[in-house]
Amino acid sequence: MSEEKFYEEFEVFSRKKDGLALEHKFSLLAPNREMAFVMAKENFFRREPIKELWVVKRSEIRMMGQEEREGFKKLDNKHYRETKGYTDLPKKWKKFQEKAK
Amino acid sequence: MVTVRFSELTEEEKYNHFMERIENDEKIEADDWMPDEYRNALIKLISSHGISEIMGALPEKEWVPKAPTINRKLSIMAKVQDEMGHGQLLLRVNEDLIKPLGRNRENVMNDLFTKKLKFHNVFHMPSPTWADAAIIAWLVDGAAILTQTMMLKTSYGPYGRALKRICQEESFHAKHGESLTLALASGTSNQKQMLQESLNRWWESLLMFFGPKSKKDIGSSSVDINIKYKLRTKTNEQLRQEFLTKYVPKIKLLGLTIPDETLRFDEEKEEWIYREPDWKKFKQVVSGNGPKSEERIALRRDSYKNNEWVRNALAAYHQKNRVFAG
Amino acid sequence: MTKDNKYISELIYQLADDNFIHSYRGSEWLGLAPHIEEDVAFSSINQDTMGHASMYFELLETLGEGSVDELSHNRKPKDFRNAIILEEANGSGTYLDQPEYDWAFTVIRHLFFGVLKEIRLESLNQSSYEPLIHTSRKIQTEQYYHLMHWKTWFTQLMLSTQEARDKMEQAISRVWRDFGGVISLGKYGKEISDLKLIASEDELRSEWLRRIHQIFDQVGFSIEGNPGMEQGNGRNGEHTEDLTSALNILSEVYHSDIDAVTW
Repeated sequence: MSEEKFYEEFEVFSRKKDGLALEHKFSLLAPNREMAFVMAKENFFRREPIKELWVVKRSEIRMMGQEEREGFKKLDNKHYRETKGYTDLPKKWKKFQEKAK
Repeated sequence: MVTVRFSELTEEEKYNHFMERIENDEKIEADDWMPDEYRNALIKLISSHGISEIMGALPEKEWVPKAPTINRKLSIMAKVQDEMGHGQLLLRVNEDLIKPLGRNRENVMNDLFTKKLKFHNVFHMPSPTWADAAIIAWLVDGAAILTQTMMLKTSYGPYGRALKRICQEESFHAKHGESLTLALASGTSNQKQMLQESLNRWWESLLMFFGPKSKKDIGSSSVDINIKYKLRTKTNEQLRQEFLTKYVPKIKLLGLTIPDETLRFDEEKEEWIYREPDWKKFKQVVSGNGPKSEERIALRRDSYKNNEWVRNALAAYHQKNRVFAG
Repeated sequence: MTKDNKYISELIYQLADDNFIHSYRGSEWLGLAPHIEEDVAFSSINQDTMGHASMYFELLETLGEGSVDELSHNRKPKDFRNAIILEEANGSGTYLDQPEYDWAFTVIRHLFFGVLKEIRLESLNQSSYEPLIHTSRKIQTEQYYHLMHWKTWFTQLMLSTQEARDKMEQAISRVWRDFGGVISLGKYGKEISDLKLIASEDELRSEWLRRIHQIFDQVGFSIEGNPGMEQGNGRNGEHTEDLTSALNILSEVYHSDIDAVTW
């Protein structure tokens, strides 16, 4: 029988400690997710302690192609989404403060 | 930069776009368009690097249970385990590169067994004493750290990420090797002699490790292509010189004699002069005709075949439990 | 040495030697496991287990039995107290020359040992000898993963191909024949449990059987009776040629230079 089905790709994610987000670590080959899980721990976290470990079958992930990676760009005209779009506020506050004097 | 519609580009435009990214120090990812020459250079480099880690576990493996104290047993076990782990990382990087060619890990293993896939010269050599465990961990790993650090900035993203993990662990290996070496160098006359004999055994192989100076030594070299695509930044000779600068003074400080009476630092040329290794021998060794090549390949092949039933069984378990295991 | 101390060290030798030899047999697989990822995972378990042996040897050191490295490298086979099934070779050949190692045997031996180790640790948590309480609590933290690892292997291989099922069942009967030796507390077993150093052999056995049968149930397997001790009782210094050759390898370098002070 072919061993092909033994070599499934799994992506490994971990959270280092409380308060941090999950982070992608690496990938491994395993026949199924339970095996992937028990092997992931010691393949990627032999030294560092971790709070949480996920394995995800790669084929279940919607990844990006090169065109998308290069295509997902934005114009730098979205200051209204960020604090830097509101730098005039201190000046306005100042006016009110002066008026109140 | 304008959005690139890949489907509409000619091959030449794709190539130019690719080279522009290389020039801009962008990182290439596994499913990016890449010229065949780049893919093939990566496959050659990384499959050989990965399988060298796996085969590199074998000369030291002998000394894992034999290590003379419990702490040494633990540290060498951890070190050899890391080599296997590095092999895992690199094989994974390589597997994503060979996947579009319809190949997987099984093919890579078979290439090793049929000697199509070559591994580093040092791992074809015998390691008959405990001192070899020390010299390998100190100097072979020391040499490997230099080449791997040089490639950290490689243009291929997945390789760079794997190397980052590897280099972090290599710093433990260097300490482990230093610790073994220092213990022997400050030990009994038997221990010192064992260390000296091991250095004698490994010296030429260590110089060979970096590869020949130029093409003419062994007839072919991929260094130029690797530099062109920013896979690496230094030549074999530059790395060898760095190695000598870093380790020759330390080796001498331990009271060891380097088995090359012609070795000296030329102040004028600012480079080490050393006896040229026998490159014919090098070529023979890496082709799988070294003193331990057959034995070590057989060890790996037999264990792979012997455990085939396990992989077949779990492949079947996966099929049976598809609905649940996903 | 007081009489109590004799029984205390007798028990700790059993714990230390079991872990030491078991770890050694596991470490022989390094580089030879069925899958590279598994090779790495398995090696961590062996390192942990060797670390546990080392902690028990340290307890013996404080009891004046000798240094950790003397205890692990400079005793005769007859002084070892490990169970015989744990010293048994992984298969034919050696770890360097034509190893025909049996993965089914390894999975079963590790699972059986892991389940018993968990039970022993739980019992040692209540030991009348306080240092054993501290040590067992530390060791317990690593045991969870070990058991999960071997249970996963056991379940999947038992529920896969007929070939694997046959090999696994063969391995079960092979380990079953001698696993009684791991449960045994040796000729001082009564004194050891009377001192409340650890639960009695009978209690350990019935709890082990309960947990093993639970695991067997999940894969539709059953077996009758108690595990045996066909090759003798390692707790009483009875051993096979496999232990002698293992100890020769483990102490080869240690003995190679008797004047050496540091390694």
